Amino acid sequence: MTSESKSKGFNLFEAEDQVLARAKDLAARVEQVPAGLQDDILALVESYNLVLKEQRRLVRLSDRQQSQVAKLNKELATRTAQAEDALAKLKAVQESLVQAEKLASLGALVGGVAHEINTPVGIALSCASHLSDTTRHLKTLYEADDVGIEDFEAFLTQATDATTLVVDNCKRAAQLIGSFKQVAVDRVSAERRLFNLEKTIDETVTSLSPQIKGAGHRVEVRCPSDIMIDGYPGVLSQILGNFIMNSLIHGFDGCARQGVIAIKVDRVSLNSIILTYDDNGKGIPDANLSRVFDPFFTTKMGQGGSGLGLNIVYNLVTGPLGGTIAVTSAEDQGTQFKISFPPVAPI
Amino acid sequence: MENLLITAQERSPHVDFNFATGLLTIAGESYPDDASKVFGPIFEALDSYLAEVQPLPIRLEIELVYFNSSSAKALMNMFKRLDQAAIAGQKIDVYWRFAAEDETMREFGEDFSEDLSALAFHLVETDGK
Repeated sequence: MTSESKSKGFNLFEAEDQVLARAKDLAARVEQVPAGLQDDILALVESYNLVLKEQRRLVRLSDRQQSQVAKLNKELATRTAQAEDALAKLKAVQESLVQAEKLASLGALVGGVAHEINTPVGIALSCASHLSDTTRHLKTLYEADDVGIEDFEAFLTQATDATTLVVDNCKRAAQLIGSFKQVAVDRVSAERRLFNLEKTIDETVTSLSPQIKGAGHRVEVRCPSDIMIDGYPGVLSQILGNFIMNSLIHGFDGCARQGVIAIKVDRVSLNSIILTYDDNGKGIPDANLSRVFDPFFTTKMGQGGSGLGLNIVYNLVTGPLGGTIAVTSAEDQGTQFKISFPPVAPI
Repeated sequence: MENLLITAQERSPHVDFNFATGLLTIAGESYPDDASKVFGPIFEALDSYLAEVQPLPIRLEIELVYFNSSSAKALMNMFKRLDQAAIAGQKIDVYWRFAAEDETMREFGEDFSEDLSALAFHLVETDGK
């Protein structure tokens, strides 16, 4: 035992030490026995002494190993806890970035709304103000008692044209507001309802048309008009919105030709719809293709890219839509996304 | 006489010896650098308790989840010491508590109890909490 233990009056091998002392004592007392017997006893005592030494060494050694194991286990537990903690934090950050990304796409939507409604409202306003001028002019003539039949006929023609234009354009504005409202509500509420697929695609494309047309690109939609989906129109709209923004920001970036986006819907069976999204942009390099759905993967780091657009798409397709997604791309020819999903979303 | 109370440390168990009731509890983990620091005071306290004129029956509750070789040896020494007292007429009950799924601790308990003659050694399964 260590001297420290002995100084405290505690000896782990006290009993064994006592046995050893008695054996040594016995060996000393058997001097008179026949020759050879004492040697045998001494040998026995010595071998017991060695066994005891060996036992002490083993206990010390295994104590040390057990203490190392315990230390490593604690270390492992700490590391595991740290890793779990880091993972939870990462998930929280990712979740908040996904929310920020959703809000950003909603911002683009609002911009689109403002731009799109501006035209009919502008026309209605100028027609109304023209009608106001014409009316004032006729009133002046009338008060001077100078209204000729031609004046009155001209006024009637102008008033009819103006009111028709005002009514038509106000109707158009109201219609636009209605469809934008639906897109916005769907995006924000994420509510499940029965909706017409073509209509939702059209509304989404329209809401982004300022960005598309403004850059000189166009979108072609080919979708059977009778496909009804029991699911989440906001999700679909978000997916298409992210595809379109990706084509605009990445696909058509620095691409000389006019950008063309083709959205095609096929009903392949009662339970399966395939939506194909194609652009004729510059494509995705092979090295990046397998990573486009990874969170935070972006080639526009520090230039406004969050690397979450397609990750959100992936999560929306495999989650709320209950479908699958595949991407193919040929460099300098374009990128294609194929989404396959059931007409009734999973509960 | 003073009761013995040692709070658990990272590598040593909680020890509580109440002289008024004769209840000695050892619980937790035991793999100290120096076994004498944990078991020295327990042996001292047991010796002075047994040296009293008419000590109360001893109830020893042991609930260890992990211990090293020195601690195992010290425990065996303690059981032998108590067994001698039991042979001399002292009433002693040892409760060896272990989690139901902890086979190793059950086997240690069985192993300890084999070499004791007068001591009442009870194996008690717990739900591990």
